[in-house]
Amino acid sequence: MQVKSLLFAGGALLVASSGALASGFQVGLTGAKNVGMGGTGTGLYLDQASQFFNPGAFAFAPTGFQVGGNLAIPRISFRPAGGDQGQRDLQNTNVVPFSGFIGFGPKEGKWRLGLGVYTPFGSELHYAQGWEGRYSLTDINLRSVFAQATAAYAITPQLAVGAGLVMLAYGDVDLQRDVPVQAQGSTAPLHAQLTGKADRKFGYNLGLMFKPSDKLSVGLSYRSAIDAHVSSGDITLTNRPAALASSFSATKFDVTLPLPDVYSVGLGVRPTEKLLIAFDANLVGWSCYQSLDFAYTNGVLGGQAASSSKRQYQDALAFRLGGQYQFGEHFTLRAGTFYDFSAVRDGFVTPETPDADRIGITAGFTYAINSRFGIDGSFLFEDFRKRSQSQDDLISNGTADRVAGTYKTTIAVPGVQLYVKF
Amino acid sequence: MTNFFSFNTARPVLALLGLGLAGLAGCQSNLDGPATPTAGTADFKRYIAVGNSLTAGIEDGGLYLEGQQNSYPNILAGQFAQAGGGQFRQPLFTTAQANGAGYLRLAGFTATGSPITQNVTTNLAIRGLNSSGGVLYTKYLDPIDNLGVPSIRLADMHTANLGNIQPARAYNLVNFLPYFERITPDGSSQSYFQRIKAEAATATFFTMWLGNNDVFGYAVTGGASTTADNMITRTDTFNLKAVRMLNALTASGAKGVVSSIPDVTGLPFFTTVGGAARTALAAAKVPDAAPFVYTTGILAPGQANTRVAATIGNIRNASGSTGTLLLTLTASPYVGLYGQPTGKCWRDLYTLASGAPAKGAVFGGFLTALGVDTTKAFAQSSQNPFPSPFILDGTEQAAAITATTAFNNSLMAAANSKGLAFFDANAYFRSIAASGAVSNGVNNTSNYISGNLFSLDGVHPTPRGYALVANEIIKVINAKYGSTIQQVNANNYRGVLFP
Repeated sequence: MQVKSLLFAGGALLVASSGALASGFQVGLTGAKNVGMGGTGTGLYLDQASQFFNPGAFAFAPTGFQVGGNLAIPRISFRPAGGDQGQRDLQNTNVVPFSGFIGFGPKEGKWRLGLGVYTPFGSELHYAQGWEGRYSLTDINLRSVFAQATAAYAITPQLAVGAGLVMLAYGDVDLQRDVPVQAQGSTAPLHAQLTGKADRKFGYNLGLMFKPSDKLSVGLSYRSAIDAHVSSGDITLTNRPAALASSFSATKFDVTLPLPDVYSVGLGVRPTEKLLIAFDANLVGWSCYQSLDFAYTNGVLGGQAASSSKRQYQDALAFRLGGQYQFGEHFTLRAGTFYDFSAVRDGFVTPETPDADRIGITAGFTYAINSRFGIDGSFLFEDFRKRSQSQDDLISNGTADRVAGTYKTTIAVPGVQLYVKF
Repeated sequence: MTNFFSFNTARPVLALLGLGLAGLAGCQSNLDGPATPTAGTADFKRYIAVGNSLTAGIEDGGLYLEGQQNSYPNILAGQFAQAGGGQFRQPLFTTAQANGAGYLRLAGFTATGSPITQNVTTNLAIRGLNSSGGVLYTKYLDPIDNLGVPSIRLADMHTANLGNIQPARAYNLVNFLPYFERITPDGSSQSYFQRIKAEAATATFFTMWLGNNDVFGYAVTGGASTTADNMITRTDTFNLKAVRMLNALTASGAKGVVSSIPDVTGLPFFTTVGGAARTALAAAKVPDAAPFVYTTGILAPGQANTRVAATIGNIRNASGSTGTLLLTLTASPYVGLYGQPTGKCWRDLYTLASGAPAKGAVFGGFLTALGVDTTKAFAQSSQNPFPSPFILDGTEQAAAITATTAFNNSLMAAANSKGLAFFDANAYFRSIAASGAVSNGVNNTSNYISGNLFSLDGVHPTPRGYALVANEIIKVINAKYGSTIQQVNANNYRGVLFP
């Protein structure tokens, strides 16, 4: 009798979005001004971050340079559905998403060229030793850096278009889980660690802005999907029983994570010179992510050469509202809110992406030191709706490779950015 | 326009805002935990467990300390303790004798993937032999609440001297159980029933899982045995004894759970070897229509020793999709000898039955009496058939299942008549055999070894299996008595350990 039915059901790479948008474990943190206004930006042309939000709007933005960073402070709580041994507070590790942009062009001219770098997702989660979902996930560490080159052109003083070439410049993942196989004399089960780097991949974004007057601007933009592909990641096994060496022989893995495309529409309204109100809606095409499939090379894992875990994500909408008010020459205050629908269906929640519908409130400010330099501050607080799934839900969905219980997450993200206009 | 928000006035506002935000950021949400466990209308002050090897905590073919610590009654008692339950005492082996009666350990796998098991023979709790050469275990005479006695049958409930090595006589499992002797005072003639009755006088809650051995002995010997303890108990006898046992258990007003008997045919002990044999024979290009000749019913000189001419295709395959013949785990050394002119199987059977080496005229006479010619192809010729002790065919399976169903009807009726909770272990084990049991992201199945639910003897659960059983019993208790006992995380209990 072969020990072949020990299945290493693929754990899950953290889901990332290629933009500051709905669901997954990414938080839209590109551009501190935008963060402060609820993550709006498609209908705005405030600064260089428009390369990201709407390359068409970039044609109307000032030229300059900006660089900023955030501290994402997640707090995740979990209680299992049965066999409760106390609430699990994840060893929440802060991640530091950052972004930087530079834009060139004639000051009142028709065109702009720009470069940008940003980290649309990054996450680090460490679950307690021996927690209920240990055979699903124990740790995940995910990092990525995107780079973009953008060009924008104002066809008329009211209409501009733009496009960006987006590159997944760097991505790495470290994913760990326990496997329900134990060696004699050992108190801990087999532990698997999968680490790998993503291939460089290219995508693009497109944008259009219509600005009939200084009081109103309307933007449309599209960001393309990019597949994050780890082609030759490493598998490290610890506590493997010697007798099972041939059933757990794989040393490399291959996995592709589809990062969805995003459609955005945005509005900017300036009822007075000092007041700006913005509204954005995003549709993130998460339905491209149906399953997470691992292929193992140089051997097998749990007797299998491949594994597949259901995801069946759904397209997700987000609605954003924000505003800023300028007090005097130096000081601008911002506030915003957003509602972000979850990409994860009921009964499909995985430990590395405890996703749920979320509501966000944001605040921010700009302090303009002079007409050229300034500092932006932002604060975002995201409250995920409490989300539960029962063991019966998991069994009926065919998602019994994850754990039943209730998750509650909040994330707080202070951020700061420096800018210079030239 | 004056600057309301010059930096100076803004500073304290920003500071307050910062503190508030920091507070918000650091805040960890609190999720409600489960309600404090309560006992409902049950009383867990003294819980006693009545049953056989499943209750005592046998794993891997023997009773040892780790198995006792992971017995389902011990797991239950741990959960009862949160709702007013008292101490739960078991006849634990000492650390120096932690390997108890000895058990099987996995030593490795053959090149073809078959497991190699070996016996653990150190740190045992064997103190000597009885007058028939059977083992005697270190005695445990302190008060206990786990009254599970391996091998006990309801049919033996009233047998006197079941735990008494005096008077010296020929001991067999019908009149002497070494595990009962272990917990019975020296020289006492008490029966199992008398022991339970005495304990039940002070018990407030009980679980009863008895009756398995009343059919199991028959099945595990392939329906071929002639000894009394391998006969299926008569249903009327079973019913009588079950009712009397429950009367005794409830005499002082105790509440409890009665468990039904799982069908033996779903155990990996019966479903493993046949499946592996079919896979191996298919790989060797042996067609399904190839002959498979076996004997059915009692195997002994003077018996009919009927041959049945079946085919390889009649053996139940690994997935259970086709074939009905079940081969026992004990048949494993012999399936590889299919078609060879060998008498190994018969030599082993002879030695097992007689205790003497298989040679000479006596052995020759044995073979002749059974009509066996070991120069013929094993399991292909009716003169060298696959012996009955290693195979449970349709007729034998039907006998086991019919008896099990009748026993379970008795148990359910008795439980209902006394208003006791009923755990349908038969339905539960059937569902495990069909679709496994998921526990927190782990797919446990009833596959031998890799399934993590059954231990190396193919019959008794692993600690994880026992934990899942305990959880099912908790569900039944909560439903019946309105209690809110918490289940355990079955993944905190190990499956099979690999070398």
